[in-house]
Amino acid sequence: MKNLKLVSQETEQRTVVKVCGVEIGRDFVVIAGPCSVESEKQLLETARAVKAAGADMLRGGAFKPRTSPYDFQGLGIQGLKILEKAKQETGLPIVTEVVDPRDVSWVAEFADVLQIGTRNMQNFSLLKEVGRAGRPVLLKRGMHSTLVEWLNCAEYILSEGNPDVILCERGIRTFETYTRNTLDLSAVPAIKELSHLPIIIDPTHSTGRLSLIASMSMAAVAAGADGMIIEVHHKPEEALCDADQALTPDIFSSIMKRLRPLKSFLNNLPSEAPTTR
Amino acid sequence: MKPEEIRRKINKIDREMLVLLQERMGLALRSKKFKETHSDSAQENDLLARVERLNLDLIESSFTRQLLKTIVQETKRLQDENRSLAAFQGEHGAYGEVAARQLVPKGAYIPCLEFIDVFRGVEEGYFDLGVVPVENSLEGAVTQVNDLLTTTDLKVIGEVKVAVNHCLLATETTDYRDIRQVFSHPQALAQCRNFLMRNKLEPRPYYDTAGAAKMLARENPRAAAAIASSLCAELYDLEIIKESIEDGPSNSTRFLLLAREPHPNNGDKTSIIFAVPHEAGRLYAVLRLFADAEINLTRIASMPLRSDPGNYSFFLDFEGSEKDAKVAGVLKQMEGLTKWVKYLGSYPVDKTA
Repeated sequence: MKNLKLVSQETEQRTVVKVCGVEIGRDFVVIAGPCSVESEKQLLETARAVKAAGADMLRGGAFKPRTSPYDFQGLGIQGLKILEKAKQETGLPIVTEVVDPRDVSWVAEFADVLQIGTRNMQNFSLLKEVGRAGRPVLLKRGMHSTLVEWLNCAEYILSEGNPDVILCERGIRTFETYTRNTLDLSAVPAIKELSHLPIIIDPTHSTGRLSLIASMSMAAVAAGADGMIIEVHHKPEEALCDADQALTPDIFSSIMKRLRPLKSFLNNLPSEAPTTR
Repeated sequence: MKPEEIRRKINKIDREMLVLLQERMGLALRSKKFKETHSDSAQENDLLARVERLNLDLIESSFTRQLLKTIVQETKRLQDENRSLAAFQGEHGAYGEVAARQLVPKGAYIPCLEFIDVFRGVEEGYFDLGVVPVENSLEGAVTQVNDLLTTTDLKVIGEVKVAVNHCLLATETTDYRDIRQVFSHPQALAQCRNFLMRNKLEPRPYYDTAGAAKMLARENPRAAAAIASSLCAELYDLEIIKESIEDGPSNSTRFLLLAREPHPNNGDKTSIIFAVPHEAGRLYAVLRLFADAEINLTRIASMPLRSDPGNYSFFLDFEGSEKDAKVAGVLKQMEGLTKWVKYLGSYPVDKTA
């Protein structure tokens, strides 16, 4: 681990990333929204719904790294403007993915947190660029990446002078086909002992199954994750991507109603016995 | 050429035709100020003869005649409306025009190249009113205008504060990722300095914000954008890449409305300029008059005097009208304490501010 100078630095306090009053690394932060920004109406309605259910931040993709070139690629800068509008109306800070290094400074003008997708985790020029962007970065784990590879990518960002990195476990590829990916919950305590950076969970893309999301969200809280990023769409049947996995506002709301009390309950439990010798 | 491109080019030409027609109407209104009258039919026939020599074979001469007749008819109707000609500095779409539209509703807005053209134009009767910026919340005083105010005979009859929201504009065919240089007035570029630095964009000073937008639309230079008002996006058919790119949160510019005659009613605010002898306590003595009379000052700015290097003139705005007894009293007392006082005018306060 000696190469992870900044990511594994021994610090008294864990990193808390502050985004417009939201503190990631303190309480349990919920980032919710549609997979992609499809229209002003779609995004604003979804934004209002997630805000009402108690989300802390809004997600929405303007630049989509689709597997197929013929799939919807995102609205681009139009999408960014719509996200900005949603922030103006709801006050929710914005998380959105950036794919092209040339877009980084522009996306940073509209969004509060820049997301690096799983397929771009080791896009080193992109990592360097977001390291210089002056905005917090949400770094998703590569679907075939080890924890050390992941932390090295975070090190790229920190070494450019950007201390605000939030890690996101979104499932890794295994032989299992029932779930889209295999959610590696053990990554949460593992990262907490390897690094001071906050770590959140993506229960949507990991499971790829609507019926499994609620359980994994609760598990994320119990595991000690600093938050979660979850897909919510005001009309999932009309979504242009991830239609099978997006929650309706009602289901999201019901999850939130169970999640927050669970967090409080866990906070009040006696402390764990230390395992390090 | 693909059909979409043909359609786009046609739309562009239609827009430009209307913009030129607007310009023609503005010029027609300006020509009304002059005593000589040209015979319209003589001008028309002259134009038709010249057009015929152009060999525009797709446009029939009967159609041209009809078109010109319609335009001339509409021009006459517009001239009879007796709109006030309000001059501003810059091109159409400049913040000066935004201010002029607020100060002079239902007027005709005439763009001028320089501030001095606005002043001289109103002084000499070619325009009815002038709209000039005096102060910007980020950049401070507009020195050229303040300088011209010290020597003009015009009166200030109104003011308005215009929220300046700079927009980054580019042509439809420009990919924002390719933008490397940004054209605009130096003040606008300075107000967006951090935005330009963050996105590694090179500022290119241009004489006017709207002028930069107009140039961008006409010449479509590569890798270029302009900083101007959102009004310019509509006027010149440009895309707004980002709104409100200025560094400071609330950027506004205060404009004054100038006329040959003072405001007829009791204004609630007054502007003056004065100079004091260069001795200790002289400025204080003048300001003390206002303090003792409990007159609230709203602006004080100093400017170096061109006629007297090393010395300054002071711009003072305060609440109250020269028709108020206590203001009149103070102004009278000032005469004894100053080298000179220039009374610019009493006018209504901008209530929208």
